[in-house]
Amino acid sequence: MQFQLKTRQVCLFFIAFLPIIKLFSLPSVIADVAREDMWISTLINVLLDLFTLIVLIFTCKKCKTDFYGLLELNFGKVGSKIILGIYFITFMVKGFIPVMEQKSFIELALYETLPNFFNFMPFFVVCFYLCLKKLRVLGRIADVFFVCTALGLILLFALSLPNCDFTAILPVGARGSVNHLKGSYYSFNWFGDAMYLMFFIGQFEYKKKDGLKIVLSFVIPSLAVILFMIMFYGIFTSIAYRQFFALTEISKYTVIINNIGRFDYFAILFLLASNCFALSLPLYFATTILNKICAFNKRWISALIVTLTYVAVLLIFEQFSATITSTISYYFNTLFFITANVFPVCTALLNKGVKNENLAV
Amino acid sequence: MKILRSKLAIIIFLGVAVLFFTNDFGLIDIEKTAIITAVAIDKEADDYKVSVEVAVPEATDTNAENQRALISGSGKTVGGALKDIGDETGWFPKLSFCNLIIIGNGFENENVIKVLDYFAKTMQIQDSATVVYSEKTGEDLLKATSPLDNISSFALQKILLKSTGFDNDVITTDIRSFCANYYSPHSSSIMPIVKIIEQRADVDKAQEGGANGSSTSQGGSSKSSASGKTVFNASTSALFKNGIKVGELDKDLTFAYNLLNRSVERSTIKVDDVDGINHLLTVVSNKPTIKLTATDTDLKLSINLDLYCRLSDLNSVNSDSTFAENKPLSDKLIEATKTKLEKDIGDLVLTEMQTGCDILKVKDLLYRFNYKHYHTYKDNYLSKLNFDVSVAVSGQK
Amino acid sequence: MNISKKLKTNVEYLKKKLRSDDVEFLDITVKDVPVTLIFLKDVADKEALGELVLKPLSNMTAAPEKNSLENLFLSPEKTVVKNMEELVSQIVLGDTAFLCEGLDFSYTFGLKKFEKRPISEPPTSAVIKGPREGFVESLPVNISLMRRRIKSPDLIFENLTVGRYSKTPVSLCYIDGIAKKSLVNSLKKKLQSISIDAVLDSSYVEKFLGEHKTSIFKQVGNTEKPDILSAKILEGRVAIFVDGSPIVLTVPYLLMEDFQSPSDYYNSSYSATIARVLRLLSVSISLLLPSLFVAAELFHLQLIPLSFLLTIVNSIKGIPLSPSYEMFFTLLIFEILNEASVRMPKYVGMVVSIVGGLVLGETAVNAGIISAPTLMIVAFSGICLFTVPELEQILSLIRLVLLIIGGSFGGYGIIMAICFIAIYLVSFENYKTPLMAPFSPLVTPDLKDGIYKGFLIEQRKRPLSLKNANVRRMGQNGKRS
Repeated sequence: MQFQLKTRQVCLFFIAFLPIIKLFSLPSVIADVAREDMWISTLINVLLDLFTLIVLIFTCKKCKTDFYGLLELNFGKVGSKIILGIYFITFMVKGFIPVMEQKSFIELALYETLPNFFNFMPFFVVCFYLCLKKLRVLGRIADVFFVCTALGLILLFALSLPNCDFTAILPVGARGSVNHLKGSYYSFNWFGDAMYLMFFIGQFEYKKKDGLKIVLSFVIPSLAVILFMIMFYGIFTSIAYRQFFALTEISKYTVIINNIGRFDYFAILFLLASNCFALSLPLYFATTILNKICAFNKRWISALIVTLTYVAVLLIFEQFSATITSTISYYFNTLFFITANVFPVCTALLNKGVKNENLAV
Repeated sequence: MKILRSKLAIIIFLGVAVLFFTNDFGLIDIEKTAIITAVAIDKEADDYKVSVEVAVPEATDTNAENQRALISGSGKTVGGALKDIGDETGWFPKLSFCNLIIIGNGFENENVIKVLDYFAKTMQIQDSATVVYSEKTGEDLLKATSPLDNISSFALQKILLKSTGFDNDVITTDIRSFCANYYSPHSSSIMPIVKIIEQRADVDKAQEGGANGSSTSQGGSSKSSASGKTVFNASTSALFKNGIKVGELDKDLTFAYNLLNRSVERSTIKVDDVDGINHLLTVVSNKPTIKLTATDTDLKLSINLDLYCRLSDLNSVNSDSTFAENKPLSDKLIEATKTKLEKDIGDLVLTEMQTGCDILKVKDLLYRFNYKHYHTYKDNYLSKLNFDVSVAVSGQK
Repeated sequence: MNISKKLKTNVEYLKKKLRSDDVEFLDITVKDVPVTLIFLKDVADKEALGELVLKPLSNMTAAPEKNSLENLFLSPEKTVVKNMEELVSQIVLGDTAFLCEGLDFSYTFGLKKFEKRPISEPPTSAVIKGPREGFVESLPVNISLMRRRIKSPDLIFENLTVGRYSKTPVSLCYIDGIAKKSLVNSLKKKLQSISIDAVLDSSYVEKFLGEHKTSIFKQVGNTEKPDILSAKILEGRVAIFVDGSPIVLTVPYLLMEDFQSPSDYYNSSYSATIARVLRLLSVSISLLLPSLFVAAELFHLQLIPLSFLLTIVNSIKGIPLSPSYEMFFTLLIFEILNEASVRMPKYVGMVVSIVGGLVLGETAVNAGIISAPTLMIVAFSGICLFTVPELEQILSLIRLVLLIIGGSFGGYGIIMAICFIAIYLVSFENYKTPLMAPFSPLVTPDLKDGIYKGFLIEQRKRPLSLKNANVRRMGQNGKRS
């Protein structure tokens, strides 16, 4: 088997791309429901994903084929295509809200004079180009851009920390478990990153202790996200739910900005660069899946279909974006939960295409 | 495929180049942009009168200082009034550099959040902008000519943001903290009151050389004064409950509030008449602790303040060779300081109880640290509140 | 065609093939046997020819025949040629051919003497501390410079000839046991497959060695210094010498190579690390500053501190051009000046620099055609570009593209352009070596000679990014075991 990735790249993939998309409008979405317990809602999702990840690591360990091969061996050609079709829909829908919020962020927070669709078009060019590339390239991008994510987050935290009142998250758990779970449920769209490991099955050589490395590389950025949520609430307290773009809001109260201008934009620009890839991930995997389902000779055909679909939806249905967003938030979360957590956990039960196949019942 | 790819690349590049060279995509020329440095809002009948101070840069080769223009507009909403300004001047109002929001006349019985919410919700302004309450109209404040800077909002910010300088007797509130407090369970906010003080003649003379009075009239409302005649004072504060002004803190109480809420390093405390000598102490460090203890029957607020001071000045006739800073603090002086501060802090709590404006965020303390009793006391916590204040002053021995 | 025993036939054939006036056919008779020497009269070293070939012939006591001639000539470079075509190509390469009646073969002597430039310090890689020798246009001299540095039998030179008309000698140089055999073979194959009229410089060969024909990025490294080349081939690279060019090509190439200056290896690792950080910073500034400035002016005024913004507004008052046009044309002027000063004779070039830099700039600002910040940014960006001279042309092209994107799409467009370039670079491989190594893919041991320049003693292994045949280059702590 030719491996596309190294274990290091799988680890850096999670560090580079896991935290960023959660720093835009997700904090306000959770804060709206869970208020000072927003970090608990986040924690629930992180634990859910962590469980999925651990199960997937075991699957990675025992598999002797890649994910697609595993599906075909266990569910047959038609069955695997149906499952892949569901995942194609999942990725196409899952990417929509983050892309939409990124578009709004660019137009409202980054550009003062020109809220124009054209400003966001370069994203799709990059996205299309990335979709053409092999998984190996994604791994190499993670090798470089984890530095951007790490630097951006460190800078952001350093600038935000002095204005943060950590006692604002007290009393712990006062909002009640219903609100915690609601906060979790509404944010499924932004979580479910463990699912990506499922697509890396058989793409990297699993060695001893790799599992621990992957778990750590998942836990560290997840903790950064939880810390971000805590700091976000610590800064904005009662008006946290009104801060639609947490990323630009959290750090602007530092004294340094009075003296030298929006220094925090350095951190934001670093994170935006990494976010470009994080946003492209659902589209990238949708392309791969479409290519598997339709068996196109050229990958660019599926990349073009996926990218153009997004461009068309954003162009044609722009005025319905709020409706689309709320529809996805309310009706697709169950699908996200099933595809990102339930099914990956079930892969542990698959008995064909695994190393000790003969022993499997 | 390769030919198609290069053709596509050429088409994209040409498209981008056309976009670049035409520049015709709704951009607003930097020169047509009004860089608003301060916004003052006054209430006139049912309308909001919004006055903005616009920085007008001067050519660098003349080495002149930047000038300003004062423009006003009115409307039923703050956004409407700002649009009015844009319509009348042809300038695109750019609020991202606005660092000062002045709440002026007409808001005595009106909820100020109606106007501040506009700034809190729009992405066009930094919600880190300072909010102040003006004794006169907001427009008056912007019109005032200060020798500190010929752009009055810059002069005002020198007073308001001096926390980074040497004194901390001014409360600094920005849009974010004002709104966060308003929307929190206690709904109590605070902001500094800015007063215009006519400058004394001797100071004025001294400033004449420095401030050459280069203020010129531009835009709508303008100034006629040739030289700086006024300075600002912001050492008192306005208290707001549910967005409506309910009281004020004088200079001492404002300082007491600051002592309990932030580091006031290098601020000074005047302690007069200790054995006939007046003293000026500099705060080296202040460590406040505000603790709320709730039981089923009692709600007790304990305020402790550890203060480390250094003597800055004293008007003693018996001169000695010691630097004032190295002089030990006498027990009497420590006692007098402690008594003064305990009284001020006590008065601060009493003011809070009288006005209902929970500036010490007792309700937050109740919610965060005594959640068990929150529902018992949440509606009457201020009337049930007992408090004790303890100030420990230390200094050079 | 094989060489005939009849001299006349051979000479006639050669005269048909070698019609140029500078080909000398020297007919002599040795003990009644006719003999012909054929050589290029402006290339052959006549003194050596006389001493090493003609003198022994004149001293012959018997008629020349196969056995007596075998050990007669004193020329150290002597080959036996039996084929006419081969003989022709040897003669045009500058060798002297010896044909004798009754012999069905020819001797060729490598007795050529080309005029050559003395060894001097290359202008593109001057160092304050370190060797100052640079390669010259003569292949033998360049080979001797290498031999002087690496006295090992494992230093291999493999000679090839490229160019249908030029017949340029090209030499592959590598260290057997360190360089990957597959790489050497693949290069050899590529060189042999080149079909071109002439190879006038190593850059001609460079174009054929790259695997991505349309890429704007470099795919082959180069150096003019034997010390640097020695270090490179000791790391496992293969060098390609081209006769007539002082620039030696190296393969595989890593982008990081151009950020490494010769002086980095002769100075302390601290100063080398600082210098590399500065180079990287300079490149970032030169690429991004003009585009970011234009993007900030057009789209993101809030990013500029107020006092600086007021200064900018001050300076652009009355400027007839929009910020993007202004920057574009200033950059264009800079590029024209740069091109002119390179092409002009040295002293005139200085005048152009002064007139262009000082007079034109100052006058343009005073006349209100361009603003002072724009001029300053272009000048600063231009200076920064030259901290990595090897990449200057590529970087100035990218700078222009980034400016156009920045002026059209703003800051987000610039970020996206950087992401695009990043994807392109990380997926770029030449001879199975990733261009962005050791950063992407991350090769941790190689980072010791990345941005951070580790101590020499720390670098026990050759760069793993190059996938050498032999990884270890140093004993424990650099000592003999």
